[in-house]
Amino acid sequence: MAETREELVKRLEGQTNKIRRNIWRALKASGSGHAGGSLSAAETLAVLYFHKMNIRPNEPDWEDRDRFILSKGHANAGLGAALELAGFVDDDYVNRFYAMDDGRSPFGMHPDIKVPGIEFSTGGLGHGLPVGVGMALGARIKGKSFHTYVMIGDGELHEGSNWEAAMSGAMYRLTNLTAIIDANRISQSAHVAEIMGIEPLADKWRAFGWEVRECNGHSVAELVDALDALPYGNNKPNCLIIHTVKGKGASFAEDTYLWHQNAVNQEIYDKAIAELETV
Amino acid sequence: MAAAPTTDWRTKSQSQTRLAFGQALLELAAKDPDVVVLSADTQDLLGIREYIELYTERFVECGIAEQDKIGISAGLATVGLKPYVCGYAPFVTARGLEQVRNDLAYAHQNVVIGAAASGISLGVSGGTHHAVEDLATMRSFQNMKVIVPADVSEAYKATIWTLGQDGPIYIRLGGRTPEPDITDPDAPFTFGKATQLRPGNDVTIIACGATVEMAVRASDALKKDGVSARVLNMSTIKPLDTDAILKAAEETKGIVTAEEHHITGGLGGAVAELLAEHRPTKMRLVGLGDEFAVVGPTVPLRARYGMSAENIAAKAKELL
Repeated sequence: MAETREELVKRLEGQTNKIRRNIWRALKASGSGHAGGSLSAAETLAVLYFHKMNIRPNEPDWEDRDRFILSKGHANAGLGAALELAGFVDDDYVNRFYAMDDGRSPFGMHPDIKVPGIEFSTGGLGHGLPVGVGMALGARIKGKSFHTYVMIGDGELHEGSNWEAAMSGAMYRLTNLTAIIDANRISQSAHVAEIMGIEPLADKWRAFGWEVRECNGHSVAELVDALDALPYGNNKPNCLIIHTVKGKGASFAEDTYLWHQNAVNQEIYDKAIAELETV
Repeated sequence: MAAAPTTDWRTKSQSQTRLAFGQALLELAAKDPDVVVLSADTQDLLGIREYIELYTERFVECGIAEQDKIGISAGLATVGLKPYVCGYAPFVTARGLEQVRNDLAYAHQNVVIGAAASGISLGVSGGTHHAVEDLATMRSFQNMKVIVPADVSEAYKATIWTLGQDGPIYIRLGGRTPEPDITDPDAPFTFGKATQLRPGNDVTIIACGATVEMAVRASDALKKDGVSARVLNMSTIKPLDTDAILKAAEETKGIVTAEEHHITGGLGGAVAELLAEHRPTKMRLVGLGDEFAVVGPTVPLRARYGMSAENIAAKAKELL
């Protein structure tokens, strides 16, 4: 029996909650990490990995799979959480997030292409979108119909290479490419607006030749609508700006640069998990 | 599809390695449907207009945006394509440095960079257009292979050789100054192996790129003075032919390295690193010192900074 929309949203909300738990698990096991930017992306990762993307976790190199690049690579705890839930890697990976390599590639603080399900090594900011342009162009040249998603942080947009790629994505009319901007409004040291203003963000992308949509990045229903509407049309690449809260789901970590990167001990973990129990 | 006739690419290369690279791309594209070529407004620099006409659907113009260009090449490689990146050596390596390191070397992508206008080959363009640090940076990256062809034959053959190789490759090419034929046109390209162009047992000259021809002239001049100078064309800088270098260190009294590059970090640096650890040997390093070259026509400019047969011969004599 086909899943109703209500059931779909409920299921994805459940996956979101599991992703958040996995994030805290990975950070606790590692002792520290980037909670804020991982937590802000949780709903989007859930909708991509458990609804939208055409993937085969038991065949991670399947050539027709949709691609996801986490350009804001420091949110790797979020990506790892989703990959573990989707079955790309086993549970043990999340428990040994920064463990020194004993012959199996661990995740580490930033994504490494060697890990099953990770499409590209990122961490230096401003690298994902150019690579995504290459993947989308490559799909066209190879006659493939897969879609490429690149998640970029709003603070990351300070890097000029994003705007080089914004030009090339539009120039080549890459309707098979979607930039997802995680607009949690906070970077490492302060609010993005205080560090270097990026507004008007949607107008910037439109001016660069992208078809833009915006939604509440913590509403699974809105995300499903926004991602199901792809491609947005007009023969343009797609930009989805998700308005989010950094550190979402843990009251003590929400909307503050103090939780960009932190130590995570048992006490913090227990507190975070207790809050997730109530959702 | 037949490959371009041998004489055709040679004529069209006009004794310039940068154009030989562009000509080789025609043969590669005919051979392999996965070959794609990228440019950063460098279509004439690498002589790829013919390629673009024949293989429009496998050409990506990236505009004057080296960071984007390298990232795009990596993305193309992930879907099984074989990207050849055309660029200015000073810009593709310096502006795109982090992309080369992260997206190509760290992510281990099969991308070939053809870097024209290396060294001080664009002499009159000035320091902004000189690339005298590229060997130092490129060879310091894990997974990266570094090739410096000495003439059009070697540039053409080396480019053909790169097809299907594992990991990123940097091919250092010249500018608009003709590069005389100096290698054996009939010999295959031997990746990772030095080629001996002159035998000799008194001293060894190890050169790459434009200085190879100078090294040969230096050896010939030294011969007249009764000095037997071995000449090695070190067309692969990474991985280095350690056997040939250690053998030269053992069999001759000292080693002169010659390169169109800073003497720090390039060919001379690579040879010195090897010898310091395994066989300390007297050396002289010919190349640009710790300074920006002045503006000037390429050939006299090279000579001004010691890149000449005369200076290489003089340095060799210091080691006797």
